[in-house]
Amino acid sequence: MIKRVGIGIGLAALAAVQLGAQEGRQQITMPFRDPSMPRKLIVEGGTGSLTIRGYQGQDALIEYTGREIPGANNRRGGRNDPPDGMHRIGGSRGLDITEENNTVRVNSQGIFGGTARDMVIQVPAQTSVNVKTMFGGIMTIENISGDIEAENFNGQVTINNASGSVVAHSMNGKILVSLDRVAADKSMSFSTFNGDVDVTLPADTKARFKMRTDFGDIFTDFDVKMEANAAPVVEEEKDRKGKSRRRVRVDGTQSGTINGGGPEMQFTTFNGRILIHKK
Amino acid sequence: MTCEQAKPRMTDYWSLTLGEAEQKEFSAHLASCEACRSEVSRVGALWQSLDLLPLEEPSGKVRERFYEMLGAYRQGLASAETQPAKRWWTMPAWQMAAAAALLAVGLGAGYVARGNGQPPAEVSQLREEVASMRQLVALSLMQQQSASERLKGVSWSYQVEPSDTEVLNALVTTVNHDPNVNVRLAAVDALRPFTGSPATHLAARNAVVQALPKETAPIVQVALIDFLAELKERNAAPELRRLVSDPDIDSGVRKRAEWALERMQ
Amino acid sequence: MAEVSAGQVARLALLFERHHRALFRYFVSMSNHREQAEDLVQEVFFRMLRYRTSYDPAQSFTAWMYQIARNAGVDQVRKRSAVQVVDIDTYVDRRAELVSASAGPEESASRGQDLALLRRAMDQLPEDKREILVLSRFQGMKHEDIAEVLGCEVGTVKVRVYRAIRALEQIYFALEREKVS
Repeated sequence: MIKRVGIGIGLAALAAVQLGAQEGRQQITMPFRDPSMPRKLIVEGGTGSLTIRGYQGQDALIEYTGREIPGANNRRGGRNDPPDGMHRIGGSRGLDITEENNTVRVNSQGIFGGTARDMVIQVPAQTSVNVKTMFGGIMTIENISGDIEAENFNGQVTINNASGSVVAHSMNGKILVSLDRVAADKSMSFSTFNGDVDVTLPADTKARFKMRTDFGDIFTDFDVKMEANAAPVVEEEKDRKGKSRRRVRVDGTQSGTINGGGPEMQFTTFNGRILIHKK
Repeated sequence: MTCEQAKPRMTDYWSLTLGEAEQKEFSAHLASCEACRSEVSRVGALWQSLDLLPLEEPSGKVRERFYEMLGAYRQGLASAETQPAKRWWTMPAWQMAAAAALLAVGLGAGYVARGNGQPPAEVSQLREEVASMRQLVALSLMQQQSASERLKGVSWSYQVEPSDTEVLNALVTTVNHDPNVNVRLAAVDALRPFTGSPATHLAARNAVVQALPKETAPIVQVALIDFLAELKERNAAPELRRLVSDPDIDSGVRKRAEWALERMQ
Repeated sequence: MAEVSAGQVARLALLFERHHRALFRYFVSMSNHREQAEDLVQEVFFRMLRYRTSYDPAQSFTAWMYQIARNAGVDQVRKRSAVQVVDIDTYVDRRAELVSASAGPEESASRGQDLALLRRAMDQLPEDKREILVLSRFQGMKHEDIAEVLGCEVGTVKVRVYRAIRALEQIYFALEREKVS
């Protein structure tokens, strides 16, 4: 059975929905069906900032504020557009929250009405979190001890006090991750196209790093035992004038181990630095 | 006891593993043979001193990798249990393979020659068995729900023989359809060994060519483009040209595509 | 091991704890290459897991393990026919350091040298002789088990162990003379 909270569709029927004190701010409680089983939170985000935080309770608490994106809406006249002289202070379209098999799914698509939705979701710390935004802003995930998968389109991904595993990607933003603890057998991966990959790991982490940046440097205060690179490739190529020349290419991926090695951790950025800090 | 009979018993003598009767005979021989007596004390000293050689200790990595393997194996087993069709080890074919492996271990013991000639059939059979075990672990991990587990499956794929088409197919599926960017990125890299095996290099090359138009994440696009340039894969030229001229494509990706086209000239 | 073949995979952990060091030392003695030895240890336990149903409880576990180990070694040699060569001097130096670190200060100088020499003699011993010496002396295997591993008669094992230690003696004294002169 699926529990569904469709805001604006069946609002009155849901005791869980509370109107916040602030204008346009709402809070929804969605319990996980079986507290003894593994929990999972899936968020498909729209526009706006998104914060996910581990807390002491048992339920998923979803709190959001709608706001107008200035100039975002060029098509005027639809029933979803503000009438002349008015502005939007809240909204509900496109927010869909379901629970099925201990998985709470939050689907928040808000760009079409020209509104952004800033959302804070609190879940028990031991919850696996899977977040993906299409147009998103800043994404922050804190105090989660489950597995984290985070993907952001535009904007930084910040993950603090994680103690499970992290697989994170941003297309156009920095990846900033700090792990309090690292599970011994988890593979992790951090990547961005444009931006730094900045990861802090406990000093005793055992891992094998695979690092690649096309335009940037790699920094760390860990004692990394580098593995021999693949042999440089010498290739003949023609320059613009058709003269042939030689180029020596070293494969961009570099590998090394810390504390004797362990599961693989991949750090990738096209345009940015890789920073791996020791906690 | 003659000297010829006494010599092979010396190591037993030093190790105190001679039987009572043998011990008596051996001692009697020593008493009567000056040469053996001197040999027993001289070589015996060397035998004892071998004890003093420092013992090499393995690093902690050995233990860690072992438990990781055990965990992955159990996980693979568990997930295979839930898919009855795949319980291949209960099939008669598997029992036969097990019997064959037993035979192989027995026969393999007689094989002493090293590094020359063709591998005997039993050794290659052993290798096959191991390969299919690794295949199982890689395949089952690549189907897990969590991206971290799927990443682990992708790294396991480096341990199969590069001619393993089933694992290659799983990687190709991952490159094309995995919802997670990081997993796709890792899987693209993992295709590399397969381009070096005669059995799979065509399929692996084609997979890279076909993945590029479907890919939307720039970081994976760049990885695919680099790979195609490295392979000098001319079949990808039309798609690369399309990327170069598509204004919606990230400029970094376009430049990389342009560079790849130049390299293929 | 019979329990492992009954499917209780976790029992393998117990066997690992009991045997992995000895196995590691066997591989180090055979290859002089720590990392490769570690890989091979992993490989052996992997194969045990894989072939656990092929283990005959009537057979000695140690013998079975070394049969697998030897096969893994053979495969490894074939796979990396061009393995990197360890510089023998660095290697011996490192060994000597180990020795002096573990011995008492007054003994260490002379004993360290003798042991470094012994180590070098071991390394120069032909592979088959080194193997049988390692199995019988370092791994403490019974002649019967070695015979099972090598697929020969117990009598042959005894003769071969004897020949191996004699060969070691000759190399050792040759090295010593070299040093003195």
